[in-house]
Amino acid sequence: MHRLYTRSPIAKIMWGILSSLVGIIVLLMVLVSENPRMEAQTINWEGRSIENGAKMYADNCVICHGPDGQGILGRGPGLNSYYFFTDTGRLRDVGWVGSLEDYVLLTISAGRPSKVESQWPEVMPTWDGKFGGPMRGDQVVDLAKFVMNWEESALAQTPEEDPFQPFEDVIKPMEFQNTAHILLSEEEQAAALEEYRARNIRSPQEIWTGEACFACHNLEERQVDLYGQNGPNFADLYERAGTRVEGMTAEEYVYESIVNPTAFVVETYEQAGQMPQNFAEKLSEDEIQALVAWLLNPDREQ
Amino acid sequence: MGLQENIREKGVLGAVAAQADDVFTRLTAGIDVGEFRRMMQGEPPGRPNPRLKPHSEGFLLHIKPTYYHESVTRFTHTYRLGLLSTYLFIVETITGILLMIWYAPSPERAYVDMILLLTNIPFGQFLRDMHRLGAEAMVAIVTLHMVRCYLTGSYKPPRQFTWFTGVLLLVMTLFLSFSGYLLPWDQLAFWAVTIGTSMAEAVPPAVVGETVNLLARGAPDIGANGLLRFYLLHVLFLPLLLILFFFVHYYKVVHFGISLPADEEEVGEDTANRVPADKRVYYLPDVLVDETSFLTVMTALLIVLTVFFFQAPLEHIANPQSTPLHTVAPWYFYWLQGLLKIADKFIAGVLLPGVLLVLLMAIPYLDYNPSRRGKDRKVAIVAGIVAGAVMIVWSWMGTPEYAVEGAPSVEIVQDVMPEEGSGLSREIGYKHLPLGVWRTDEEYDVHDHEFLELMHEFENSVDYYRRTDPDFNAPIGILTISQAQPGLKKLHWEITWFDAEGTAGNYEKSFWLHEDSLYWEQYGWKHLFLGQVADGWKSLSGALVGE
Repeated sequence: MHRLYTRSPIAKIMWGILSSLVGIIVLLMVLVSENPRMEAQTINWEGRSIENGAKMYADNCVICHGPDGQGILGRGPGLNSYYFFTDTGRLRDVGWVGSLEDYVLLTISAGRPSKVESQWPEVMPTWDGKFGGPMRGDQVVDLAKFVMNWEESALAQTPEEDPFQPFEDVIKPMEFQNTAHILLSEEEQAAALEEYRARNIRSPQEIWTGEACFACHNLEERQVDLYGQNGPNFADLYERAGTRVEGMTAEEYVYESIVNPTAFVVETYEQAGQMPQNFAEKLSEDEIQALVAWLLNPDREQ
Repeated sequence: MGLQENIREKGVLGAVAAQADDVFTRLTAGIDVGEFRRMMQGEPPGRPNPRLKPHSEGFLLHIKPTYYHESVTRFTHTYRLGLLSTYLFIVETITGILLMIWYAPSPERAYVDMILLLTNIPFGQFLRDMHRLGAEAMVAIVTLHMVRCYLTGSYKPPRQFTWFTGVLLLVMTLFLSFSGYLLPWDQLAFWAVTIGTSMAEAVPPAVVGETVNLLARGAPDIGANGLLRFYLLHVLFLPLLLILFFFVHYYKVVHFGISLPADEEEVGEDTANRVPADKRVYYLPDVLVDETSFLTVMTALLIVLTVFFFQAPLEHIANPQSTPLHTVAPWYFYWLQGLLKIADKFIAGVLLPGVLLVLLMAIPYLDYNPSRRGKDRKVAIVAGIVAGAVMIVWSWMGTPEYAVEGAPSVEIVQDVMPEEGSGLSREIGYKHLPLGVWRTDEEYDVHDHEFLELMHEFENSVDYYRRTDPDFNAPIGILTISQAQPGLKKLHWEITWFDAEGTAGNYEKSFWLHEDSLYWEQYGWKHLFLGQVADGWKSLSGALVGE
């Protein structure tokens, strides 16, 4: 019988033993490399999560929180901010006892009520589908991871670099942060805000970008562009402003339009109500005057 | 005989040896140690043959024949493809059951579970890679098994029904593989299965098609219900059905015997079951040793391939709102995807595959030629080769290379940084992407070889479309790399061009890349070889396309 089966069973058994050894050795190699592999995979998927979050941020959040997370006063507060990340910062001020990541998750998921009369009239919308928003749970998680990834750069900020914007409910620039438990009286808050503003007088250009005027108004010739379509074009403002309302100089007209946006609405701009109504409180008198002069200057520098 | 009596008769050592022999005989269902030794030494069995006992007494061997014809044990007759298919099914069952431990079939959990499996489970990635590789190998091996049986004419009487069940098993294997496709719940899975089930919709009349589609998806679109249904199909229904038909198939194989090489018997005869005594190769020990060693080699091969050369893909999480640029079917359905490009959904997706399947199952009943010899079957063999060639052409038309091209600018960015998968930009990785603005129409004094390679590919891609598309003139590609966050770079791709009328066009797309993200073969031991394989494949396919 055996002769019929020409191929040697010994050779086959040797092949079997050899491949068992190969299989076992390779599996041992895998065993040895499993821990580093799992670590690499872990940070890899964290990284990819942040990449996904970056896309979500660019698509949904930039308009209010700014491309670098520096925030836009009146629209969305800075996230890439020392105040936001430090232990004695925002978390303590709002009385949140959980982690910052949870706070971010909750805020993105469920949104925030608007403070219509405050300097933050914009609503933080709800984003998670569970609360009626447009995102899935995993997208919210990715987005929160992206926001949390600013931690390193935010905590390295000096007080000057911190894009901290005062919250009317919490007047607390950086130097107050370590005394957050001391409650300030209303006058003290007002004084602190005044002091903060005095220290931070912004140029018209800074206001233009910082207050996101560019989001609706355009300084250039009208062009088809993402921005500058919702509000009147300012390229020829110095010619038009003086002629708009009888008995008002150009300066008076522009000043009034800033502090009271709905006073004189240019025809066809039905969205005038979108313009923040509280620039009188947000900007100091000097800042408004400088802004008016700059807007009416035909040779203004941007 | 009682133990004491035994000791008295044989002494203590003798009694222990007898007891051990007894245990051995029970475990092997009838082979004692002495017989085992004689087997291993290649001695012929006594008469009556004591080595037949495990076939009649033991459960595991009762379905195996006690002996084979010498000619069918030749490797080049069967290539052990049927055995290998069965083996792969067992591998899939074992790895599949293990994978089920860490998997929950719901859209909220499935993808997260995949990532947990890859990041937190020792051997998790190994299991997943092996399950995927085994599934694809099973499709290939079952198909090859069918091709072998076709070429040797093994479907002819009396084995028509064996062939018929074999075709059913092939279909079940395809469906098993395809139903597993959806489970990771990533973009690849979601869209492949969306397209796959949408083909069912083309079944006329519309009411039937829509109902079939609705039953498969559990809702108008694939969601939680669809995932659960595919999961149950994959882990319960299809395996059970496959096991049932496997036993029917295998019973027929044993009942009729494996067909002999055609030259060894008269035309029209079937002598597989009449094996002369001098041609018998007994299962114990020869075929057992053969099959065991063969499967051990295959196991080692599967492990080596899994560990060094194969990585199951996992794309972004399924997003019903965003269809990826080039949705591809699994490779074994490329032919169907190719067909869908030349005919409408009903003809290509339902009618032709249905007709093909019926034809395939009916082959043994249609082929009245009694001879299994190649020289008598010229028509059948030529027809088979032509059918295979047509399948390959259809498959080629279904490959991503033959995909419908988008606008040049979209394709260029897709070349260097695809939405899914790696692309050269992600392959070279974060540290080889210097910050700055890089244009294809300028030269740079950069010493980073890998980045230069990327820019070179970018330039080539832009140049290729400039040469081939008259509406894509004077194109410039601009890559802006900026630091978005600590450890996170933003890659902003911009393409500008002029169309034939001189109107300027512009396309922009941004991607982000984290320094810890690994997109290619960098896990475990795969980096040892896979990089080289990918490079080799790239230069080979480049040479074939003539770039």
